[in-house]
Amino acid sequence: MRGLWTMIRLILRRDRIKLPLWIGGFIFFLVAMIPLLQEVYGEEESLATMYATFGANPAGLFMTGPMDGPTFGAFMTVETLLWWGLAIAFLNTLFVVRHTRHNEEIGAQELLLSGRVHRMSSVTAALVVAGMVNAIIAVGIGVGFSLVNAPWEVAQSWLYALAMGAFGLVWAAIAVVVVQLVESGRSANGILAGLIGTGFLLRGVGDFLGKIDASGIHQPEWMSYMTPFGWLQATRPLTESIWSPLLISIGFVIVAVGIASLLIAHRDVGAGLLPSRRGRARASRLRQTLLGLTLYLQKNIFIGWFVGVLVMVGTIGSLVPQMSDIFSQSDSMRQLVESIGGTGALIPSFMSAMMAIVCLMVFAYAIHGLSRLRSEEANGYLENMLATKVRRLKWLGLHVGVVVTGGLMMLATTGLVLALCVNSSADFRVGMGEYILAGLSYVPIMLVFVALYLMLIGLLPRIASGLTWLYFGFVAFALWLGPIVQLDRAVMNLSVMEHVAAPPAEEIVWRPLVIITIIAVGIGVAGIALFRRRDIG
Amino acid sequence: MADSEAVIETKKLVKTFGKTKALDGFDLTVRAGEVHGFLGPNGAGKSTTIRVLLGLLKVTGGVARLFGEDPWKNADMLHARLAYVPGDVSFWPNLTGGEIIDVLGRLRGGLDEARRKRLLERFDLDPTKKFRTYSKGNRQKVALVAALASDVELYILDEPTSGLDPLMEQVFQEEIRALKVAGKTVLLSSHILSEAEALCDRVTIIRDGKTVGVYTLAELQAEHANLESLFLSKYEEK
Repeated sequence: MRGLWTMIRLILRRDRIKLPLWIGGFIFFLVAMIPLLQEVYGEEESLATMYATFGANPAGLFMTGPMDGPTFGAFMTVETLLWWGLAIAFLNTLFVVRHTRHNEEIGAQELLLSGRVHRMSSVTAALVVAGMVNAIIAVGIGVGFSLVNAPWEVAQSWLYALAMGAFGLVWAAIAVVVVQLVESGRSANGILAGLIGTGFLLRGVGDFLGKIDASGIHQPEWMSYMTPFGWLQATRPLTESIWSPLLISIGFVIVAVGIASLLIAHRDVGAGLLPSRRGRARASRLRQTLLGLTLYLQKNIFIGWFVGVLVMVGTIGSLVPQMSDIFSQSDSMRQLVESIGGTGALIPSFMSAMMAIVCLMVFAYAIHGLSRLRSEEANGYLENMLATKVRRLKWLGLHVGVVVTGGLMMLATTGLVLALCVNSSADFRVGMGEYILAGLSYVPIMLVFVALYLMLIGLLPRIASGLTWLYFGFVAFALWLGPIVQLDRAVMNLSVMEHVAAPPAEEIVWRPLVIITIIAVGIGVAGIALFRRRDIG
Repeated sequence: MADSEAVIETKKLVKTFGKTKALDGFDLTVRAGEVHGFLGPNGAGKSTTIRVLLGLLKVTGGVARLFGEDPWKNADMLHARLAYVPGDVSFWPNLTGGEIIDVLGRLRGGLDEARRKRLLERFDLDPTKKFRTYSKGNRQKVALVAALASDVELYILDEPTSGLDPLMEQVFQEEIRALKVAGKTVLLSSHILSEAEALCDRVTIIRDGKTVGVYTLAELQAEHANLESLFLSKYEEK
């Protein structure tokens, strides 16, 4: 195919930093989880407890699938297979859309195809590189799982690896079909995210309705097998080791690629097969105001994270009934929760630890929402806004206000939902107000991230988002793994979360919260002042 | 102030980006009620000047005045009195043309409904399409309709017609003449010399961030056959 090699090189060149990070991060963190999980859950009795708990917990079945037995392999499977599958699915679909439909949308495809290249070459190149990426990930997992000291066979490691790689390739193939249908990369990504989510949920329903068969193995209902998630799970790589579902995945990839090539042969470059919808001829009253426009620009980011937080909080809440059992039987579990921040009574400790983790999601939302400030500027939209009566300060202030308000809502909701979950299923009652306040006690920490971003947008706008995410990554690392890897105290202290109490198990300590707030406001105001004084563009 | 009726005035304007001198003592005067052409080769500093006048860039040296005031300090107040068409038209890809026109009009302080309707018809623009689906010319039309539908004193147009077809170019010229009759001021940066010649009362030519000269149309026609011969002679001389 003429031009294929050039196209492949173009993709590798464009993603020369992104791909190694994705691949390396994926393999490293997955393999690194094994010794950590083994340390905490490796003992026979905690595995037996987990097995008993999973068998009795519909929410667990829904979110992670069934646990095949009281073994570490079974535990590793429920902890990682589907969730890392989710990650590799998004990795593949985002990658394919970026190098196919997005290229077409911005007009680069037109230019590429005007050269001596085959019209299929860019889609083929995207698939070839996606295949390479999945293959490298599979090899990395296979080697990692075989070398690490874990109680499964080498062949099982490779089945896990190949199942994951094949699963990734299936989503790349689905993406190749979807990008033929719609005109914009954004719509394609939206449809694909919907398909991934639906697949995950359908598989969850299948598991939820499934039965334990005569040999004591949980068999999901038929709808699980309607989705790639079902095929991934059906390999049961670290327990029963069933190789045949790999054939379904490979067969599916061949069929999907065949369909895509037929579609490409029958459509115009730049066009989609589905008609693009007509929009409104007039802007709504609300959108004509700066606040309305800001809300519109922030809406999707907020909704996405809010749903994520609700799912997370709901999942945690649904575990409450099972929590007492696990705690009473596993010392290591107790130690883990205590190391994250929980102390004392069991359920409140668990809630403290979980609340800290959900709050991390809220902080991530705040950074994501604020990064819109820079993208609006970089895309040239800000210039058009500031050429009107809009003042810089008001523009910036509204975005910050909307994001902070959104974060407040999420934090309060987190406390409220957790309190509701405890009250509806535990054998004691907690105060709604107390839990909501516990969530809101993380507001000062959120303000630190906001302030950091504002300082950077005033000082180093190009790398503002990157540096803020870097600090976020450090804070998350210190919270999750700092105690486990025994990070130095001085280093831990660089994380702002180390300086506050962990409610609701601990009393809220106001002094540090007030000090952190004052510092954050100071930094934020200084950043805004710098932003007011710098060139736009 | 040297020129009391100047809507735009820059004196010895300097703007540097690191080591690059984008503007190097540039003088520009645009009087009230005139259509002022702003010509110069690519990279001469036209867009930089406009962005200084919009208060997006802070001057390194010299003076810039918009309606007699500092465009950096009083940006928002001054912007209620002007409308701007950017050189690279980029708007939110998921809003329709109609929505963008409304949003910008409102943020500018309101737009004239009758004019909006008339301009959409005259420029033959479908307001229901998402911005990202428009062609280059249609994108420019969105920005033009948004600007021209506002009843303001000053219109700053940065290469507004480079993607328009000849028919639309005619419509554009008629609209600018109508603005002039209504007593409005226009700063028109352009590479289309016939357009500048047809519309402008005076032109300023900029090169390497410096003023090459200011010419009235009458002077021009007396000394040179047309704007193109002037332009080429001024660019090529060292």
